[in-house]
Amino acid sequence: MEGILAILNTDLLVATIRLSTPITLAAVGATICERSGIVNIAMEGIMIMGAFFAVIVAYYTGNPWLGLIAGIVAGGIFSLVHAVATVSFHLDHVVSGAVLNILSFGIVRYLMVLFFGHPGTTDPIPHGLAEYQFAIPGLSKIPVLGPMFFNQTPIIYMSFILIIAALFFLKKTKLGLHLRAAGEHPLALETIGVSVYKMRYLGVLISGLFSGLAGAYLSIENAVSFTEGMSNGRGFIALAAMISGGWTAIGSFLAALFFGFADAFQIRMQIFKVLPIPSEIFIIFPYLATVIAVAGLVKKSRPPKADGIDFMIEREDA
Amino acid sequence: MSKFTRISVIILVLALAFSGIVFANGGSEKADSTAVAKVIVSMATDTGGLGDKSFNDGSYAGMKKAADDFNLDARVVESKQQTDYVPNLTGLAEDGSKVVFGVGFLMADALMEAATNNPDTEFAGIDVWVDPSSAPKNLQGLLFKEQESGYVAGVLAGLMTKKYASVSDRLNDDNVVGMVLGMDIPPVERYQAGFYAGVKSVNPDCKVLSVVTGVFTDQAKGKESALAMIEQGADIIFQIAGLTGIGALNAADEAGIAGIGVDVDQYGVAPDAIMTSAVKGITQATYLTVKAAINDKFVGGNNRVFGINEDATGISPYHNWNNVIPADVKDAVDKAIADLKSGKVVAPASRAEAGYEG
Repeated sequence: MEGILAILNTDLLVATIRLSTPITLAAVGATICERSGIVNIAMEGIMIMGAFFAVIVAYYTGNPWLGLIAGIVAGGIFSLVHAVATVSFHLDHVVSGAVLNILSFGIVRYLMVLFFGHPGTTDPIPHGLAEYQFAIPGLSKIPVLGPMFFNQTPIIYMSFILIIAALFFLKKTKLGLHLRAAGEHPLALETIGVSVYKMRYLGVLISGLFSGLAGAYLSIENAVSFTEGMSNGRGFIALAAMISGGWTAIGSFLAALFFGFADAFQIRMQIFKVLPIPSEIFIIFPYLATVIAVAGLVKKSRPPKADGIDFMIEREDA
Repeated sequence: MSKFTRISVIILVLALAFSGIVFANGGSEKADSTAVAKVIVSMATDTGGLGDKSFNDGSYAGMKKAADDFNLDARVVESKQQTDYVPNLTGLAEDGSKVVFGVGFLMADALMEAATNNPDTEFAGIDVWVDPSSAPKNLQGLLFKEQESGYVAGVLAGLMTKKYASVSDRLNDDNVVGMVLGMDIPPVERYQAGFYAGVKSVNPDCKVLSVVTGVFTDQAKGKESALAMIEQGADIIFQIAGLTGIGALNAADEAGIAGIGVDVDQYGVAPDAIMTSAVKGITQATYLTVKAAINDKFVGGNNRVFGINEDATGISPYHNWNNVIPADVKDAVDKAIADLKSGKVVAPASRAEAGYEG
């Protein structure tokens, strides 16, 4: 029991934030996407693209900020493939997402051979974003909350801002209302003269930008090089976070925090050897937590009515 | 709906074709060099792939060296996932390869299957134990006494973390060292057990922590595991986790403590932080096996074990730490190596033998 108490400290919570950030970003982005009516299971692939391009640009320019922009843009562009396939060509959303996930691995492997001469892992970038960790004066002195929220690295700060922005966008703006309408009742939206296609494109694009940022976090902020498959299923965990978060930005954030916590907790359980349990049990703990969360909360959470349902307009003059 | 299904199938096939481009591209490059019909030797990497700055790169280096020395055509195929093992190994055999290497403990079953189905090709598995009673005659296991490398690195870490901690501001007085493990497989456990025994042999009070991450490709998890141990006062992190461990070494570097690399000299990952690396002679073993195979001296159905007496296990140079590590410590490390060589000390090969619960 003493061991458990020793684990529950500020460091655990700071680690929770670090581990949950990529999941949070992808899950909040996916929330906006699914609210517009497009199912997105391609976060894993988009994260890989974002992570890779962030490293490529940071490596050749020596500037991690340019790498950051490259990661976000790469995620956005790659996600547009999903938008074109599902919105314009009316492809099944899950099929398109699955294809994107596979495609990303192929593209990245090809480009790695092109740029670095081998697949696997890239050479380290000269400067990572972790060098830009800064404490916000005053606020970072608050016990517990200070180190958690006000003494972090750039993308973690950005993720906090983006959660609030996503919340505001969905709830308080006209555009957000239209975007949600595209996912609830597209025909009604089209009737008042707003293009459902445009809203759905926007939703997918935002999710791509968010996932690209999540990828950049993994490769140039948390690490200083790109490894094939370095997202290791975080895109799918984000999907689970979005579902158990009830398709809301704040819910997704809280669920992602929970998954990050589960991971940080299991690492410390191993170190402190609180319970005589084989390490395999600890390793599956975060995934087990995911399954339980999705299975337990999914009944209460409701997807947008027209989520995953194709919308096709037939124009007489066309 | 059938239209959509058709489009999806087309896109899926295109996607797969795209991943195939890498293959075709790699193949065409090699086509030029095979104009004179050289003998082919080849390897299939584990999922970590080339560029892991660890055992995949080490094996490839050995094969490359043999290819240069004996004018061979060295080919390599990367395994994206575990289901690729058998097709990759079989494909290389069908290409007419003289000897095919499977790199990594996880390839054991795949090698058995491929060797049984391709009796005319020699197969060698790095880190793979072959059951002599049932293995085909064209399959050889190449094993290492990782516990010896771990032991020597452990002696160094055990002395530096407490008794000589004052020599570097990267070290502290807490008397804690940590290990980050990838999957909990035998070669990893041998390193772990050896390291633990090495630390305890010179510093019985030292607290030796370890975290099993269960994955070899997750830098973020490796970093978090290392940071969690650093919070507990660890000032030396030994990584036994492939690419996951790159994250652990970066964490050590960023936190301003020391790290120990694994398998090959990983000095380049974090030059200021890395004291040494616990190495094993994968390059050497691969080279010797290729040499035996092309001279038709390959004998399979058994295992070859490389240890400190073959100069296949031990630690790499100290590089930036060479002037930091006191002569007393270097002497103790050399003595540990001598004791292992003479058999005076036997490094434990498992946690049970080492009496370690971690």
